[in-house]
Amino acid sequence: MRGADYVVKRTAFALVTIFVAVSINFVLFRLAPGSAVSNLSRVPHATQELRQALKRQFGLDKSRGRQYLIYLEQLTRGNLGVSFENEQPVSTNLKTAILNTLPMVALGTLFAIVVGTLTGVIAAWRRGTPIEGATVTTALGFYSMPTHWLGLMLVILFTGILPTGGMTNDFLINPSFWTHARDVLSHMVLPSLTLGLVLFGEYTLIVRSAMLETLGEDYILTARAKGLRPWAIIRKHALRNAMLPIVTLVALSLGYIVAGAILIETVFSWPGVGRAVYDAVLNRDYPMLQGAFLFLTISVVFFNLVADLLYYKLDPRIT
Amino acid sequence: MSAVGAPLLDVDDLVVRYPVPRGLIGLLRRRPQLAVHAVEGVTLVVEAGELVALVGESGCGKTTTAQAVLRLVDPLSGSIRFQGDDITQLGMRALRPLRRRMQIVYQDPYESLDPRLRVQATVEEPLLIHRMGGSKGERASLVSDALARAGLSPPELFLDRFPHQLSGGQRQRVAIAAALVLDPQLLVADEPVSMLDVSVRAGVLRLLEELKASGLGILMITHDLSTAARFADRIAVMYLGRIVEEGPAGEVVRNPQHPYTKALLSVVPRRDPRMRRRPQILRGETPDAVRIPSGCRFHPRCPIAIDVCTTEDPSLRRTDSTQSPHHRAACLLA
Repeated sequence: MRGADYVVKRTAFALVTIFVAVSINFVLFRLAPGSAVSNLSRVPHATQELRQALKRQFGLDKSRGRQYLIYLEQLTRGNLGVSFENEQPVSTNLKTAILNTLPMVALGTLFAIVVGTLTGVIAAWRRGTPIEGATVTTALGFYSMPTHWLGLMLVILFTGILPTGGMTNDFLINPSFWTHARDVLSHMVLPSLTLGLVLFGEYTLIVRSAMLETLGEDYILTARAKGLRPWAIIRKHALRNAMLPIVTLVALSLGYIVAGAILIETVFSWPGVGRAVYDAVLNRDYPMLQGAFLFLTISVVFFNLVADLLYYKLDPRIT
Repeated sequence: MSAVGAPLLDVDDLVVRYPVPRGLIGLLRRRPQLAVHAVEGVTLVVEAGELVALVGESGCGKTTTAQAVLRLVDPLSGSIRFQGDDITQLGMRALRPLRRRMQIVYQDPYESLDPRLRVQATVEEPLLIHRMGGSKGERASLVSDALARAGLSPPELFLDRFPHQLSGGQRQRVAIAAALVLDPQLLVADEPVSMLDVSVRAGVLRLLEELKASGLGILMITHDLSTAARFADRIAVMYLGRIVEEGPAGEVVRNPQHPYTKALLSVVPRRDPRMRRRPQILRGETPDAVRIPSGCRFHPRCPIAIDVCTTEDPSLRRTDSTQSPHHRAACLLA
């Protein structure tokens, strides 16, 4: 039962990490200068009584320790507080944002993984040829491109051909399911492509270097000596062994994509998590920010856990 | 198709060079294209049931020779004949059926096995590549046979293990089993024991000896003259891409002709510690294989070199003081 042991151990570790992150999250916002009350009561003729009332209302009159416990307790019930901005529960706001972000990010990531792996493998296999040079240069170019700049360039290029902002066409009235789906998909193309292109560069470089490492191993030469076809060598021996670093890095990058999508979602006015963070910062919407931070933390830890578990699946040496 | 009486492996005047990248500046300045002269005219024969040792220090072209023989590296010129068929120019596709009959075992058993494959899968893979062995059950019995032949018995104990669960000697035996499962006629062993503990070396070498007795032709690459002397039928000593001395193992060791062979032999420890011979340490480093010295390539380090050695490149020939007609050396003074 070593496998189950490993899963339990890694999961427990992930939960502890989240707990620590949540605690830091709590402390961080209390360390920030000023208080929520002083910001809220910044109205003319705010009386001491109003301050006291606000403090009581938000539970800020209690001790720090007590506040922390209440915070944890509410968290376990899924209560993330109320947004200052639209007075909706943060969890409701976040849920909408996450559901908007996921398909866009998923499409871009899928594009990056497929194209990145393919070009990375080709670059490694054709080492030293112009093909490799061209691939690496292209990949480096996209990898080092500022996301928002690339996004803006795509906006300029595709204006009039594809929608460049928002998630739906507001002028569609009572669209059928398919019309709606097509509408959302066409809005999704540009932000997804931007994300996909930037990630593709990164993945190509990762896959190439991982492949080069495994291609230099003796068992590749052994496979060649045994008469295995080149493509089978890549698939059966090289890529399988190169998967280890690739999977880790891809999984780790997935955790950060959600945060990285801030720029893309801002450029394309995509109403997702990144955009929510951006708006929350502008509006000093602390509960919303806190909730978004929590979500980002959980997503990073979650994908770390996924990487660990995949590692276990891919590498027989890890127990 | 293979000619009757032709040697198992017949390498003639093999040359392998690796180009040195010039870089953009070199290209623009039209610098001449340099090359690493890894193998410069190696001639070698391996008969069935014979173990030939190719001896030399690191960087002398032993491994390149081994890889070129199996056409894993492309030769620049010369010819390689396998069972009488010229395989020098064959393409990847045409080589595939031949790969069945010639196999290689590498130096480092920690590197040459795919860490993700179980022993069973590693040994079975060659059968699948060449569509041999028929049904799954038949393949399983072939795999077990190969493991048993390689000295891993009972095979069932090893089938489900991963390489990291095996010792170095066991790994090397798995690598040998994967080579043997196709029932090859030629086995190239590239330093098969140099990464193994001394305690398991003898076992692996004895295994090679048994395989040889069963009719396999073996080309063993090694830098260890004493191993070669004990296990090989013939020894070829290589220096800087060329064979400088070749002959029956006993002859070469007892009556070395080339000063390089003599120097190598002088540093082999004696069994009797009271019998001390002054080791003959060679001066300097092995020259850069990009810039081969003129004349005899050994002259810059040779203790007995004379003027003519710097201009005349000696070929492999019989010398006056040898007893065997097959013992040849490439030295003007021997």
